[in-house]
Amino acid sequence: MPYEIHGLMPFIYVGLIMLGVVFSLIRFLVGPTAPDRVVATDILTTITTVVLVVLALFFDRQIYLDVALVYAVLAFTAVVAIARFLEGGL
Amino acid sequence: MHSLILFMVLGLSLVLVVATLVIWLSKDLLVAILASAIVSLIASIFFLVLQAPDVAITEAAIGAGLTTGILLYAMKIAGRYEDD
Amino acid sequence: MIRKIVAFIFAFYFGFILYSFIYTHFPFGERPLKGVAAHYVEKGVQEEGATNIVTSIVTLYRGFDTLGEVTVLFLAATGLGLLLAGWKEEEKEKPEPTLIMETTTKYLFPLVLLFGSYIFIHGHLTPGGGFPAGVVIATGYFMMFIAQKEFKPSEYLLSATESFAGTLYVITGLLGLALAFSFLANVAPLGVPNTVFSAGIIPIIYIIIGFKVGSEMTGILQHMKEV
Repeated sequence: MPYEIHGLMPFIYVGLIMLGVVFSLIRFLVGPTAPDRVVATDILTTITTVVLVVLALFFDRQIYLDVALVYAVLAFTAVVAIARFLEGGL
Repeated sequence: MHSLILFMVLGLSLVLVVATLVIWLSKDLLVAILASAIVSLIASIFFLVLQAPDVAITEAAIGAGLTTGILLYAMKIAGRYEDD
Repeated sequence: MIRKIVAFIFAFYFGFILYSFIYTHFPFGERPLKGVAAHYVEKGVQEEGATNIVTSIVTLYRGFDTLGEVTVLFLAATGLGLLLAGWKEEEKEKPEPTLIMETTTKYLFPLVLLFGSYIFIHGHLTPGGGFPAGVVIATGYFMMFIAQKEFKPSEYLLSATESFAGTLYVITGLLGLALAFSFLANVAPLGVPNTVFSAGIIPIIYIIIGFKVGSEMTGILQHMKEV
């Protein structure tokens, strides 16, 4: 039985998350240079971490937080690697 | 609550389709690598929604840095732009 | 052109099937189980002592498949080493990593290793296990590869760890064959479920797999870096 969150709050969470996803996706598609797209991907990674935490809240399982922890620890590696590639030092 | 999660899955699967189209159509391989990172992110969320946290954590660990790294090393050898 | 259209139709069809599956099965885990799945869910904790049932399926009930996966990964790493053996990079000037990157990764690296160890030690209690833990550790090494000037783990040590862990895995399986008449049988005491020292040989196997996958992935990254 999932933990009941009453009222309007879950709708607000999901609405704000989807708004963030839409805006960063627009930046990813439009962004004229590669660094714009890298930043958009990084923001999407952060939003993914938030989504995983919110899903752990919705399903009422603490152990799901481990998945979010993996992204929280490792997410910056890809951005650093692409930055090093763009300056030619990979 | 269930319909709310279903709505979120629907929106995220549209993002998944857009990212896949970017991988398919882009001539710049760096953009394709970034889009494949986005596909991996959303796949991880989907595995968690499907109640498979073991698969989700594996997808997260692989997609968060290792795939991007190996593809970047490969792109350094192969060249950045796809020629027709 | 016709190839792209066929690929698009196939992808659309596959996506439609996936979506309809999600839509019809949505509140997951509420349908009655039957056959071998019901046995795993009902008797798994008593028989093998692991709270995370997926873990006991992967390492014990379907242990041969995991051994096959480990072998496939070993073959992939060996093949990549063979393929890239003759290539040599021409020396060119690389820009130095900045001070921020160097310092951050230096202090973050032990924490990433600690997190990887946490994942494989708690494989029978929380989601995770040997493969994700090895990949997390390899990502930590990758972070050091890109952000440090002089960082080169000994290739001999990596191969030695990999071979030693692989041999140890097979020996653990053969121990089960000798003591309980089945390969990879759970011969160690089960302990109290939901504690760290429980579930027999599952933590041992996951520690071995974590070391093996971590050293293999680090070896792959190092080979690709040096080309």
